[in-house]
This record gives sequence, C-alpha cells and structure tokens, in this order.
Amino acid sequence: MESLKSALALVLCGTLCTPAPFGYGQEPAASTQPPRHAHRPAYQSAQLQGNERILQALNRFTFGPRPGDVDDVRAIGLDAWFEKQLHPTTIDETDLNARLAQYPAMQWSVADLIYRIPSNGMIRQAIDGRMQVPARGTLHAVYENQMYRLQERKTAQQEKKQAEAQTSAQAPAAKNAEPISSAAILNQLDQLDAPTADNAPAQKAAAQPMPDSQSSDHQSAAQGTDPLTDRQTDNQALFSEIAALPPVRRVIRLQSMQPAEFDAFVKSLRPAQRKALDDGLSPDLREAVADLENPQRLLVEELMAQRLTRDIYSNAQLQEVMTDFWLNHFNIYLRKNDEMPYYLVSYERNVIRPLALGKFEDLLEAVAHSPAMLLYLDNAASIGPDSPAAERAKRNAWRNPKNKAPEGINENYARELMELHTVGVNGGYTQADIIQAARVLTGWTVDQPQRGGGFVFNPNRHEPGSKTVLGKKIKQNGEREGEELLHLLAARPATAQFLSRELAIRFVSDDPPQSLVDRMARTYMSSGGDISAVLRTLFHSPELWAASDYRAKVKTPIEFVVSAARASNADVENYQPLENALRQMGMPLYGCIPPVGYKWDAADWVSTGSLVDRMNFALNLAANRLPGITVKWSPYAQQPPAQSVGMLANPVSEVDDPTPESEEARLAPLIVPGGISEATRAAALQQFQAQIAQDTSFVRPVSAARPQNRAKAATVLERQDQVLAGLLIGSPEFQRR
Amino acid sequence: MRMNRRFFLHKGALAVAGTAAIPSFLVRSVLAETGAAPGQRLVVIFQRGAVDGLNVVVPYREKNYYSMRPTIAIPQKQVIDLDGFFGLHPSMAACKPLYDQGQLAIIHATGSPDMSRSHFDAQDYMESGTPGVKGTDDGWLNRALQAEDANAALRRRCAGTCEHSAFRALALGSDVPLTLAGRVPAIALNNLNSFAVGGRGPAPSTAASAFEAMYADSGDHIFHATGDETFEAVKMLRDANPAQYQPAPGVEYPNSEFGNSMKQIAQLLKANLGVEAAFTDVTGWDTHHAQGGVNGQLANRLGDFSASVAAFWRDLGDSAENVTLVTMSEFGRTARENGTGGTDHGHANAMFVLGGRARGGKVYGRWPGLDNDQLNQGRDLALTTDYRAVLGEVITHTLGTDNLEVVFPGVRLDPRSFLRLV
Repeated sequence: MESLKSALALVLCGTLCTPAPFGYGQEPAASTQPPRHAHRPAYQSAQLQGNERILQALNRFTFGPRPGDVDDVRAIGLDAWFEKQLHPTTIDETDLNARLAQYPAMQWSVADLIYRIPSNGMIRQAIDGRMQVPARGTLHAVYENQMYRLQERKTAQQEKKQAEAQTSAQAPAAKNAEPISSAAILNQLDQLDAPTADNAPAQKAAAQPMPDSQSSDHQSAAQGTDPLTDRQTDNQALFSEIAALPPVRRVIRLQSMQPAEFDAFVKSLRPAQRKALDDGLSPDLREAVADLENPQRLLVEELMAQRLTRDIYSNAQLQEVMTDFWLNHFNIYLRKNDEMPYYLVSYERNVIRPLALGKFEDLLEAVAHSPAMLLYLDNAASIGPDSPAAERAKRNAWRNPKNKAPEGINENYARELMELHTVGVNGGYTQADIIQAARVLTGWTVDQPQRGGGFVFNPNRHEPGSKTVLGKKIKQNGEREGEELLHLLAARPATAQFLSRELAIRFVSDDPPQSLVDRMARTYMSSGGDISAVLRTLFHSPELWAASDYRAKVKTPIEFVVSAARASNADVENYQPLENALRQMGMPLYGCIPPVGYKWDAADWVSTGSLVDRMNFALNLAANRLPGITVKWSPYAQQPPAQSVGMLANPVSEVDDPTPESEEARLAPLIVPGGISEATRAAALQQFQAQIAQDTSFVRPVSAARPQNRAKAATVLERQDQVLAGLLIGSPEFQRR
Repeated sequence: MRMNRRFFLHKGALAVAGTAAIPSFLVRSVLAETGAAPGQRLVVIFQRGAVDGLNVVVPYREKNYYSMRPTIAIPQKQVIDLDGFFGLHPSMAACKPLYDQGQLAIIHATGSPDMSRSHFDAQDYMESGTPGVKGTDDGWLNRALQAEDANAALRRRCAGTCEHSAFRALALGSDVPLTLAGRVPAIALNNLNSFAVGGRGPAPSTAASAFEAMYADSGDHIFHATGDETFEAVKMLRDANPAQYQPAPGVEYPNSEFGNSMKQIAQLLKANLGVEAAFTDVTGWDTHHAQGGVNGQLANRLGDFSASVAAFWRDLGDSAENVTLVTMSEFGRTARENGTGGTDHGHANAMFVLGGRARGGKVYGRWPGLDNDQLNQGRDLALTTDYRAVLGEVITHTLGTDNLEVVFPGVRLDPRSFLRLV
C-alpha cells in the first residue's frame, strides 16, 4: 500500500515537481509546514492542552523536565521553544561548557588521545619496541607505569609464586636509567597546557631540589625486608607528604615515582585519599594524575562523564536526545577492541552529535566513513576476493602454503547497513544484495587503527567490476561506489518508513499509528531526508498530543537515571554511580554488544529486577548516598550556610513550619510535575510521617523561635525531605514520561 | 515489531503467588500422574550471536571441513573425540566427563527452519517458537508453562487453587527475555545479593513498605503487576536466603558474567524457591573476524561456557537428577571461513541437552554432510532436526506439557518422531 503511494508520488513528481533534491522522491505537499489542524477528528476531543501539552513536549524531547522548565517553556511559547531546540547552536550553553571544561582531553584528536592516554595496544607496541617511549615528562612516566603494569600482569600469570621476587628485581630496571630533571618535567607539564593560578609559585618551589622525597624513595626501596604493614605505613606517610604539596609539585612528585612504588602507592589509597590527591588540581593536572594511574580507565570515564554531563545539563536537550537516539541506531560496542573507546570519542563528537539534526544521508555517510563503525562491523578487514591484495595473497600462499593469510569478503557491515541502519529487515533485500554491497564497500578501511588513524580507501583491497544492489547497477568506480550505495539506501522509501517508525516509537508511543509514520516518511522523502523536517512533522502531528499517550512511555534506564538527576537538580561531580546504575539496569553506556542497539519500548525495561534497581537508585540519589552527587531538598539546604541564616531570619511563611502535607505539596510538583496518584501520595506521606516520628524522638520539630535550633532542625527536615523525594522518584508515575 | 510483552505479565488465574517458599509440591504430585517426572526443572541457555557449531562439535572425519576452514579448523589430533566422527573443541574439555557419564546429549544439524540470517529476527523466531511468524508476543517457554497449567490432570487435582511460586519462571538478567515472556508471570533479576529495596536485612525496610503500598494501589497496570511480582519475590528471597548456598566443595565457577549467572541459578535451585524454568543468556559468539582455532576468540568463549556449565552441574550434585539444561543459538555459521579469519551467518547448529535423565553420551540427529551439494544454499550446514522437536521432547518430560500445539503452534510435532534423547 505504502509503496503504491510512494510510487504514485514519484509519478506525480515526474510530471509536476521540480527535480527532487538528492534524487529523493518529491511530494507536492508543503512538507516543511505541515497542516496544523490535520483532518483527524478522532484526536480532536482528546488533545493535550496547556501545561500537559508542555509537559508532553518536555517529556518526549528532553531527558525530563527540571524544576522551572514548564514555566520557561510557557514564557517563550511551545512552538518557539521547539524551533529553538531544532537549532542547537542558538542555545546558550555557558553552564554546560563550564562543566565540560573538566574534560579537556575530550577535545583531542584520536591520534593524540591514543598517544597521550595510551591504549593497551600502544603499551604493547612500546614493550615490543615497535614505538618509541616518550623521552621525558609526565608522558614518559605514564608509559613506564603502564609497561610495568602490563608486564606485572604477565608475570603474575606466568609464575604466581615467583612474582614477588621478580617484582623487586625488575622494578629498578623498568624505569628509564636517565634521570629526569625537574625542569624537563616542567617543560612537559607546560606542554600539557596547565595554566593554573598557582603555577608560578609552584614552579619556583619545584625548581628547588626535593631531597626529602628522593631519599624516602630510596628508603622504601632499600628496606625491602617486608612486611606489608611497613609498606602500608610508608604509603600512608607518603600520602600525607604528597597530599600536602601544591598542585604542580604534587603531580611532579607522582610522576617521578618508580612504577612499582607508584603502583603500590595508588593501590594503598582509600577512595577519600585518592580524591584528596586531586584537590586543587586544574582539569589538565587531574587528567595527568589519572593518566599516570590508569590511562584506559581515564579515557572511558571521561567519555562517559561528558556524555552524561550533556544529557543532564545541556540546554540543547533535543540535540542530546537525538545524539542518544543515533548512537543507539548506529550502535557501537565500547569493548570491541582496545582502540574502540578512543574512536568512540570522535564518533560521538564529530560524527553523531553535529549531524544528529541534519540530513540523514550525511549522517549515514559519516558513520560509514568512521573508523569506529568500520572496525565494529569488521568492514575494515574486508577484502575483495579478486582484488590486487587478494591476488597477491594467493600468489604468496602458492609459494609458501604456510603463509596463507585470510583474504576475502566480510559481509557483517553490509548486512547491518541494510537491516539496521537504512531499509530495515523487511526492506526487500536478499543475501545476494548483501554480498554485492559488501563487495562495493571493500577497501573502506582504517589507516593504522592501533595508532588511532583515520578512514582510508585502499584501492588494492577493492573488488573490481560493477555490482548490482537492489536492482541498481553500480559501475566500477572505486570509493565512489560506496557513496553511490549509501545514497541509494538513504533515498529508499523503505528507509523513510524504517526511520520514521523508529523515531515515532522513541517520541510518541510503543505502537505508533501508521498514519503518523506515513506522514513522517513523506516528509523524509520530500525533504531529502532532513531529520529536523521529519521531527517538525512529528511535532505538529495530532498523534503526539493524544491525551491517551500522555505519560505513556516507560522510561528506559538512561531516561530514568538522567531524568532523576534533572528533576532533583543534582550537582554531579562523579558520574560513576550513574554509570553503575545504568549497568545494573541492563543499559550500560556504549555497552550494547549486538549492533541492533537497545530497544525503545517498555517491554524490555520493566522487570522485577530493574524495578528493585530503580527504587534503590531513587532512595540513594535523594538521600545523597551516591558519592560525588549532591542534592538538596529543603529550602534551608538550598542556600549555603552563611546565607541560610539570613533566610531563616526572614522565613517564607510556608517553609516556616513545614508539615508533611506542605512538604509534599512543595516537592511533588518539582519532581513529578505531571502529578501523582492518591495512592502514591498516601504512601509517601505515611512514610514521611514515620520518619518524623523517628526524628522527634531526639529533636523537636522545626521552630523558628531559637536560632541555635535552626541548623539542627534544617538537618532533620532535609532528612525527611530525602525520604519523600526518594519515594517520589521511585514512584510508578516517575517511571513514565 | 514485538508488542509490549509486559502487558501479558499480569497474574494469571493459577498464578497467585504463595507467601512462603513452599513451591511445587502440589505441582510435583500432580505431574506424577501426567507421565512427566516429578519436580523437574528446566534451565535454558541462549547463546546470543550465533555460535559456530561446526567448531564446537567438530565433524573431524569430514574432509571438506578442513578444506573449507583452512585457518580455523580444529586439527584431528586436537579434538576431544566423542564417537569416532565428531569431536569437541578442546576448550570444551570440561563438558567431556558429562558426555562420558551419559548425561550430555548433543544434537547436530539442528535449529530453526527459517532462513533468516538476521540475528534479531532469528533470535525472536527461536524464542517465540514460531519461526517465520513475526509479532508473536510470548515465548515458547512461557507457553509451555501455560500448557502445564491447562493440563487437565493438574486442574482436576487442585481445583484451581494451585499455587505457583513467584520464582516459577526466572530469568537471570536485567529483563525478561522473549522466551519467558507471556501470560505466566516471570521475574528477572541480575544479582540476588542486591535484590532488596532500601537495604538488606531480616525485615523489609520502611521505604520498601512504602513502595510496596504505592505500587499495590497504583492504577498503572504494568507497574502494578510488576510491583506485586517484585515484592513477592523480594520477600521470598529474604526468607530463603539463597546466598547461604555456596558452591559445593571443589566447585569453582569462572569469574565471568555467565559463570556468575550459572552460580546464581544453582543457588536459587538449591534454595527450593519453586523455580520451574530458568533462563539465562551468554553473548560473544558473533565471530566474523579472527575467531581463531584451537586458541583465540571462540576458544576463550567456549572455555568460559563449558567451565560454567560443568561447574553448575557438579555444584548441583544429586539434585541435578531433576534438572535438564538446554542450550541454543539463533543459527549456525557458514561452513567456510570468510575472508577475515571468521565465519558469517549460516543455518543449522548444534544444541546440548544435559540432564540427570538424558540419554547422553551420544550425538543425535541425521548428519547432512559437508560436501558442496549437501550444504544449505551452498554455504551452510543443512538442517535435519527442527529445534522444536528437541524442545518439545524436553518439555514433555520435564514440565509435563501435554499439548505441544499450544507451545509450538503451526507445527505438528509427533512424539513418535522424537529423538528419544530424554
């Protein structure tokens, strides 16, 4: 039916329309401005209005409303707000950028990242002598530490018993014999561009010799007589000494440690001590310390932290929602190989996010050229069976049969390109089409992936001759064949349907009306695959505003976790608890192994186990039990202590003597602006009262009379609020959007 | 597109969860009348990603096997011989004793008759039990439990008051897989040590009580139902405390996700929580690139897999007699290795049935051969046994399902054609 319509549209276009841009089917309808009041009586009686309409938009096009968002949208008007969301570059991101400044490395090229925050592959190359270890400075120490760690692991595997003895024998040899001057280290630090306020005095201090730290090194190395307790005491003393140093000197001190010593030292640190090591460090220096400790972990932590930072704090929420959408549509698994985390940085930053609201074909092209996708779906290794490279391999194999390297097609990417990225599994292709498409794409590979190289077309691996995909002949034309294929797929009506349905499931309902999908698909075809235009059609469709779909979507784990952080105005400095929660709920970031990505519908995300996880996460988040994440509920706690005195001197009437009812009435609309059921309210209030009963046994309720009681009372109130907020975030209402 | 499975997961008429961990004694006594062995439990393992069956159960007497797999074949000298024709991959060594003891039966050239080479379609077909039919929203294992409920003998016996445990259908993982989705309530849990709300303790936390009330009174039918199941399961788990059942002496599970899942299934079985059907999955089989031969990627996965399964079996000890374990994967892989030292999506595969009562120690199924004209579409191992025949036989003898048409609609499974492996 649909293909008939499309065919009709194409015929009409042939006679009536100007040539379609990019060869997409063109529709005569003015698609960029779809009719606001489409002829759909069924929806007219049950369309969302007013605040509910705004909330529907915030729930669907953002990661959940923050307190105050509804008012902000009302102020500028819903349509204007949406248009602004479609133009993310016009949105002020001052707050976000300040937070992202914590992760300077996330701006580096992949080659820089992999060199300066080395992968295990780089370390192995350094060990094998296939690459030169950086001569000095922080980076030198990073490599030495990692080479030590890798060799340690090997040794431990090989001979568990003798590992202890070998450690002491190897450690001094592992470190570069050349002594490193403080000045050289400082040069290197300068290269890491770490201009901190205390740099200048610190440099002066660092220029002086550091006799005490040097000698303590030797002492701890020399007195190897044992005991663990001695070493622990040493490390505790060492910690006190290092933690007391000013930032730059602290980093220099850490990087001048022998790998074995450093390894033992960081392993001895309690989490609070490890955190204290970072106190006062600029972002670059903090990265340097983490690099010394574990570069691969640093890389993955920052990749995830910047993603969640954007999800929670970006004002360009639609762009982030769509980035999340496309990262899932074009899924890539973080642990595919050592290099993948590095490539994912640029995949998200340079491929997905900038094109998330642009033309689908551009996005498809960029993904197809991305080393991340070429490696994830193995196209980087695919070789045309009759290509020069394969011929050469055959000759070599003939000369020396033992030399036979595998040479040939890998059809993995070609298949998922059609099944998952474009036309969908029912898109009318056959196994023969997949093999032909795989031949088209031979030669699309990655230059030196272990060094973080980029896309390269290798003509030697390209299968010669013309190919036929989906009935279309693609003439022999090297790299251009692939581009022709991508264009062919992007312009198929099946692709328009497939993408429109997926978007409608994400934004509207688990089972979206075909009428809506058709309308979006028509816009896709007529706009040359413009994602923003398709979203605009969706936004102006009555199906989106059907009252029956209000708060009907079950939040996926990432939607739940991020919306909880947003609803509670959480200040997140440490993203690990959020990452852990996502992993537990079955949706680890960048952690979906198969290329299909995560599902958007409720079926996969409501289960006993994940409900337990959601409730616990809600309670822990609300009660400040997630390390590095701060939430404040009571109006007293909203202000820093100095100001809260003033505020209490002039208390607002309803916070003056809060009752359970007044606190519920204040917090519930902030956290669940769409409202809660009587059952939820009753259960939350009952629990709140139980908490009060517990608290009053040692502290009297809030009374404004005696100033000295106020701080204590504020603490009690905050605890009561935490219980209430935790229950609200864990409530059935908060599980939907 | 799959419909919302959760909409089916409300309580069925027979599914009133009991309050204590006294699960299946009723079921047991009733099943005794139906020809099924009493108190049988079924564990299903899905190897997602399509495991390369030809390198797991190697037809080492096939010349063509070696010519088609020049760099990844397992040399004859290194296979663990099973019957003079097939041999196990050396990384599967941990499973060989189970074969020798007659508990492990292997079925080769089996799988779903659908020709799809899409992981996702093929997994859905296999899990729904309706190859080629899209939009089936419940799974074969759930329907097998439904059929058990509908069993006339069972209904007569308990007159509609049968109690099933909340743990009757259990998935180790963060969601209920399609295999287990359907009218019979199923629960999913990742980690039984953290399966409590607001902290673990002898009594429920006050927050847990508040949530329980909130969900119990909720008009949101999906969350209402899931909330009920959740708190029921949390209570049972607290009472039974399965964490007290540590692995039997000398049994060591691999420290892997899969090993951990198998360990927890063993704990739940030992805790007598009324588990009738348990499911878990294991990934990492999609070896398109550099899958390796005796060593390498696939060998590592198989090492973890076989060690976990073998540890599970030894851990269960005598109670393994009442347990049957089945493995499956969405399809096999190409008979020939591809251009990048791996294998692409193929067709037929090997399945394992491990059971205290299995007629193991044998490789079942008609072997279609690997000559070019014997291959499916000239590239894959051909299929000679429909996987539904294997599962049909297994559930008849474990769950007491007497109506296989409910479980596998659209296919006529004749018990006389079963392989007689259980």
